[in-house]
Amino acid sequence: MYYLRTARAFLFAAPLVVAAGFGAEAQDNPAFYRDVETKYIFGFTEGSGIGLEGEKEFSLETVARMGKRDGRYWASETKLEYEFTPNQYVQFELGPLVSTHVIKGVTDLDDRNQLAMSGIFGEVRYLLLDRGPSSPLAITLSAEPEWHRIDETSGARVKNFGLELKVNADLELIKNRLYLGSNLLYEPEATRDPDGIGAGWEKESTGGISGAVSYRVLPSVFIGAELWYLRHYEGAWFNTFTGDAFFLGPTAYVQLGRKVFMTAAWNVQIHGRDVDEPGSTLNLAEFSRQRGKLKLAVEF
Amino acid sequence: MIGINAKNVFALLLLAASFLPGSLPACAQQTATVTISVKNHRFQPAQIEAPAKVPIELHVKNLDPSPMEFESVSLRVEKVVAGNSEGIIRLRPLDPGSYSFFDDFNQSTNGVLVVR
Repeated sequence: MYYLRTARAFLFAAPLVVAAGFGAEAQDNPAFYRDVETKYIFGFTEGSGIGLEGEKEFSLETVARMGKRDGRYWASETKLEYEFTPNQYVQFELGPLVSTHVIKGVTDLDDRNQLAMSGIFGEVRYLLLDRGPSSPLAITLSAEPEWHRIDETSGARVKNFGLELKVNADLELIKNRLYLGSNLLYEPEATRDPDGIGAGWEKESTGGISGAVSYRVLPSVFIGAELWYLRHYEGAWFNTFTGDAFFLGPTAYVQLGRKVFMTAAWNVQIHGRDVDEPGSTLNLAEFSRQRGKLKLAVEF
Repeated sequence: MIGINAKNVFALLLLAASFLPGSLPACAQQTATVTISVKNHRFQPAQIEAPAKVPIELHVKNLDPSPMEFESVSLRVEKVVAGNSEGIIRLRPLDPGSYSFFDDFNQSTNGVLVVR
C-alpha cells in the first residue's frame, strides 16, 4: 500500500507546491480570476466546457484502477489525445489508447505484467445549453466510441467496442470561483467471446451519475471533491443488474502556464454490492477499490 | 419503404444537424459589425457594445508591431492577430450582459463586450 499512498501524496501535493508561487500576487484581485473552462475542474466528472473556437490541445490522460478482492491489481489506460474546437458549439477528440496491467494472485484473473497499445477512441461534444450572464447553468452532450484490443479489466486480448454517452452539466455558484458539476453516464459495450468458449458477442452496460464541487482557491488552482454512483448490468440496455458501487474522492486542477494545465483525481470505493456475493459491502468484481486520474495538457 | 442504409442515416444526421444552434448560415440573420483596436497593448476602446441575439462580426485591429491573441472563455474564441494587421472573429448570437476578453500574449490588456 506504500506506493498508493506515495502516488496520492504526489498527485495532490505537486499542484499545490507549483501553485504556491502564483498565489501571493493574485490575492483577491478579480482581474486574476478570469472566466474558466470547466471541462477539467471536476476530476472524473467532466464539466460542460468545449474549448475555444480555434483552440487545439494535446494531452496525456491516464486513468488507473487499483485493488481487487485479493492479490495485487493495477490496470491503467492512457489516452494520447488530440482535441480541437472548430466552432463555438462542438468539440472533437481522438487518439490511441495505451494500457498497462500488473496482476498477481487475483481470483478469476490471470497473472499479467504487460504494456500494450490497447485501442483507439474518438469523442464529439456538443454544447446544448450555453452559460451566459443571465444563466449560470451549462450542459454539454458527449459521445465517445471506443475500440479495444485489450480488455480493460483483465488485460487479455479481446475484440471490444464501447460507446460512452454522457450529459455533462455544471452550475456557476460564485462567478469564476465556485462550481457544481454533474454527469449522467450510459455506456454499452460488446466484447467478442471474452472467455474463448465460442459464446459470440457478450454485451454489458454501465450507468452512472456523479456530483462534484470545485472551488478556485487561487487564480490557477481549483480544489474539489466528487461522488460517483455506478451500476453495472449484463446486456446492452441495462438488462440484468450485476452490481453497483459508490466512489468518493478529492480533485485538483492547476493551470501550470499560459497554455499548460494538469488535472488530478483520486476516488475510493466507499460502498458497493455484488449480486453474486450477497452481503458484500464493496463490488470488486466489476469495479476496483480505488481509481486515479492524471491529465497533463498543452494547448496550441 | 425506406431502408436503413448509410445514405439514409447520413441524410437523417444532416437533417438533425440543421436544427442545432450554430447550423444556420450567417447570412440568414442580420450581422452586427463591431471594431476594436489594440495600441500600446491597450484595447481602444476598452468597452465595446453590440446588439443581443444577432451574430456579431468583431474586427480586431492590431496597431502594435507585435502579435496579440484575442481570447475570451465566455465568448469561446481565441485568435492570433499579427502585428499591424486585422483579424475578424465571428461570434454566435449572445444574450444581454457583459463578456470579458483579453490579450493572451499580454494579460494586462483587458476589455469587455457589453451586449444589450
